Amino acid sequence: MALTDKPPLSAGAAAPFDRRSFLDALLTVGFVSSAVAIAYPVGRYLIPPASGEPATESAVAGRAGALRPNSAAIFKFGSKPGIVVRTADGDVRAFSAVCTHLDCTVQFKTDTSQFWCACHNGIYDLGGNVVSGPPPRGLEKFVVNIRGEGDEAEIVASRA
Amino acid sequence: MSVLDWLDERLDLSGIRHFIAEKGVPVHTQKIWYYLGGMTLFLFGVQVSTGILLLLYYRPSATEAYESVQFVVTQVQFGWLIRNIHSWSANLLVALAFAHFFSVFFLKSYRKPRELTWVTGVLLLFLMLGFGFSGYLLPWNELSFFATKVGTGIAGAVPFIGHFTLRLLRGGDDVTGATLSRFYGLHVAVLPMLTTALVALHLLFVQRQGMSVPIKIEKRLKPGERLPQMPFFPNYILRDVLAWYVVIAVLVVLAAFYPWELGKKADPFAVVPAGIRPEWYFLATFHTLKLLPSHLLGFEGERVGVVGFGLVAVLLVLVPFLDRRASRGESSRAFTVLAVLGLVYLVSFTIIGHYAE
Amino acid sequence: MCPPNTEERNARNARNAMHLCGLCVLAFCLVAERPVLAQTPPSANNCQTCHQTQQDPRIAAPAALFSQPDVHRESGFACADCHGGDPAATERARAHDAARGFKGKPSGEALVATCVRCHSDAAFMRRFAPKQRVDQGAEYATSMHGQQLAKGDKNVATCASCHGAHGIRRVSDAKSPVFPTNVANTCAACHADTKRMGAYQLPDGSPLPTHQLADYQKGVHYTALTKGNDLSAPTCNDCHGNHGAVPPGVGSIANVCGTCHAVFAQKFATSVHKDLFDKGCVECHSNHAVLKPSDAMLGSAGPGVCAPCHSAEDKGDRGTAAGEMMRAEIERLKTGIEQSDALISRVRNAGIEVTDQQLALREAATQLTLARTEMHAFEPTQIVPIIAEGMKIVAAVDVAGQNGVSELRYRRTGLAASLGAILIFVVGLGLKVRQIDRRQHGRPPDTD
Repeated sequence: MALTDKPPLSAGAAAPFDRRSFLDALLTVGFVSSAVAIAYPVGRYLIPPASGEPATESAVAGRAGALRPNSAAIFKFGSKPGIVVRTADGDVRAFSAVCTHLDCTVQFKTDTSQFWCACHNGIYDLGGNVVSGPPPRGLEKFVVNIRGEGDEAEIVASRA
Repeated sequence: MSVLDWLDERLDLSGIRHFIAEKGVPVHTQKIWYYLGGMTLFLFGVQVSTGILLLLYYRPSATEAYESVQFVVTQVQFGWLIRNIHSWSANLLVALAFAHFFSVFFLKSYRKPRELTWVTGVLLLFLMLGFGFSGYLLPWNELSFFATKVGTGIAGAVPFIGHFTLRLLRGGDDVTGATLSRFYGLHVAVLPMLTTALVALHLLFVQRQGMSVPIKIEKRLKPGERLPQMPFFPNYILRDVLAWYVVIAVLVVLAAFYPWELGKKADPFAVVPAGIRPEWYFLATFHTLKLLPSHLLGFEGERVGVVGFGLVAVLLVLVPFLDRRASRGESSRAFTVLAVLGLVYLVSFTIIGHYAE
Repeated sequence: MCPPNTEERNARNARNAMHLCGLCVLAFCLVAERPVLAQTPPSANNCQTCHQTQQDPRIAAPAALFSQPDVHRESGFACADCHGGDPAATERARAHDAARGFKGKPSGEALVATCVRCHSDAAFMRRFAPKQRVDQGAEYATSMHGQQLAKGDKNVATCASCHGAHGIRRVSDAKSPVFPTNVANTCAACHADTKRMGAYQLPDGSPLPTHQLADYQKGVHYTALTKGNDLSAPTCNDCHGNHGAVPPGVGSIANVCGTCHAVFAQKFATSVHKDLFDKGCVECHSNHAVLKPSDAMLGSAGPGVCAPCHSAEDKGDRGTAAGEMMRAEIERLKTGIEQSDALISRVRNAGIEVTDQQLALREAATQLTLARTEMHAFEPTQIVPIIAEGMKIVAAVDVAGQNGVSELRYRRTGLAASLGAILIFVVGLGLKVRQIDRRQHGRPPDTD
């Protein structure tokens, strides 16, 4: 044979060269995939989550523009409900919406401008103080700040 | 021109290159124990990396710590994974550190000329336990709060300096937010600094002196004969990496099947839950202290126990200087027996402590 | 040194002057029936100075008490303003002179009259406490105590029995016997005394009960008042009346409870029981030992309070069926909430965000409270929609909880996939190591 002086390949036997490159390929695939499996979570971890920071001390109570005078809205403060109200004068106040009697969620009555608990008729005034009914204490009062400007201004309620 | 050549031109890497090319690891039947040190170091690296990641979100105050951990675990992408890895890797790290310690103890690798390696190693073991103790408080949940209370209370049993130590550890008389701040500072700054220094020394000694060979095998060598060597690079290092990947696999399985719980937020005024006890690596000593009678040899039982453990710690550091026979290269049965007793004591008391009520 | 006749003249002059003073004072005392104005401090209150030095405690004690915090003394009144007599006199006869208006120690109707003299005078009371009511006397006359007194029974409570006579504190003073937390003990001073109450009977002939205080102390109102610091919680006078104290009539019990528990009274008023119950709320909740209600009270089985009228065995009894149905519904929602809570706690502990679900479960708990209120209308069909609303919320939370469990499983799968990648690499690396060894030594390496 003049065309080649390579030893003839026997059928079915893989050359050492092929095995080595297969192994290298396997190694590369394994290394890359395991590296990705490690790097991907770490990368995603570093991206700040949507909720910003733990909501222990404060929470966003809604958009300032969406709250009409003499109306209120429920918002989430941690795992408990809060209620933010804009009085007829335009003043924004926020309280815990947990009734101090039996933990029902209070609502706002626009006709009397008071907070009312449907469970046993507890009534609180716009200062969170008990007006009548079974509640033993007033509603927990939050400090209100407005963050931002214009339409997108946010109402931020924080623990006093 | 490769990157290495480029650097070599400027920094003269010939010393390093020669070292890597020539460095070998002896090949014999007991060489599997060589990997434990590297695995411990790898896990320490995992702890540092996951710890730094957790640092980005964690808040070390009594009012926010628990919530920040909850935040990491529920809100941050893969936060649950990072936290789980950190918690499990901590336990694996201590386990491997003990395994490494015992393998060295049994194989007498501490004998001359490696006394300093042993000393730095034992100190590192204590530092790892310190990491475990300080880190355990950081999530500020019920279990960790009370475990810390009990643990620092035991520190107060040390004679003379006990009360001072207790106040130093707790940042006051009770476990409060001040304790949390202190433990946080210890965990992320003081202990890492000390560990880095000691690890550097430990590795420096190991690189300078090479790997120790067990006495029995050394004795079988004829004068002038050397054991076959495996090149450090790439043979040994690839095996090391293999071992590390096996450790990663174990971590992944643990994180998947036994995720770490959040627990309940610590309430300093709540009653201590029944059956409160420390993490497993403190169980043996804790249970021993519980079993001691209230008065022993005229002193308070707990105090005797604490002093006893202190003595054992000091003796451990001094083992290479106490084991004369091993230093001469002779088999040292006595210390083997001691090691066996130590291992049996630790294992059995950990198990007993776990199942005791 | 004066000549004798000057001395005599001086003495005579002094005596004359004293007599004149005395006459004036006497005249003034006789003429002025009204008490001395507050601006003039009692320049001579020898009553107290004399009485305080007495040995007999019955005489000394009132004087001592009067010098302690006393609302009358602080407003400028003194002994003579209630007891009459001459406060300036230094000897007993003169001070206690009936001609000077001395009344001694009033009791019974005389006592009431003494207090009422000022306290029913609106124009007078306006000068001291404009907001204070002036009908206590009239109210008292309608009370059991007042009626008995009118019949000649001296054993009943009068003003001083509850308010004290000397050392009277304002009602808002925590040490006053009529401060809300003290009222029950004040009433019980007589009403828990079996000997004293033994002389009386209920209209049906049975003896007057004396266990009211003991019962009341077992109840929620007492706990709220004394431990919860809730001064709006009722004590004896809130249900029985202040001065017109009479046990509420049969028809009015629901109204009395309803003054605070308005919603329950409203629901009850629409129910079948309104006209059937003799004693309104008290039938189920007791009058004095008002215990914390539980769901177990609903129904005829076990501790159920429906049992006395609605037998558990009687299957045809609509009331029994209604009770069972309402109880079953409420239990269903309660169990549903508990199970959901357990599920999301488990999921939360494993690291899934669940604050929305926690919020929702609160709403479900609100529905449960509303159902328990609605129950007082005793109409099962009215409870059904409330429970349904609650169960809807619970179902939604359960779905979210299951999603959380799926998320956990998904994480596990993801980790399993990573494990696969890692194992591939480990295997590859193992083979590579073997290959390198082989290459170097030209033969298989030592076993690891």
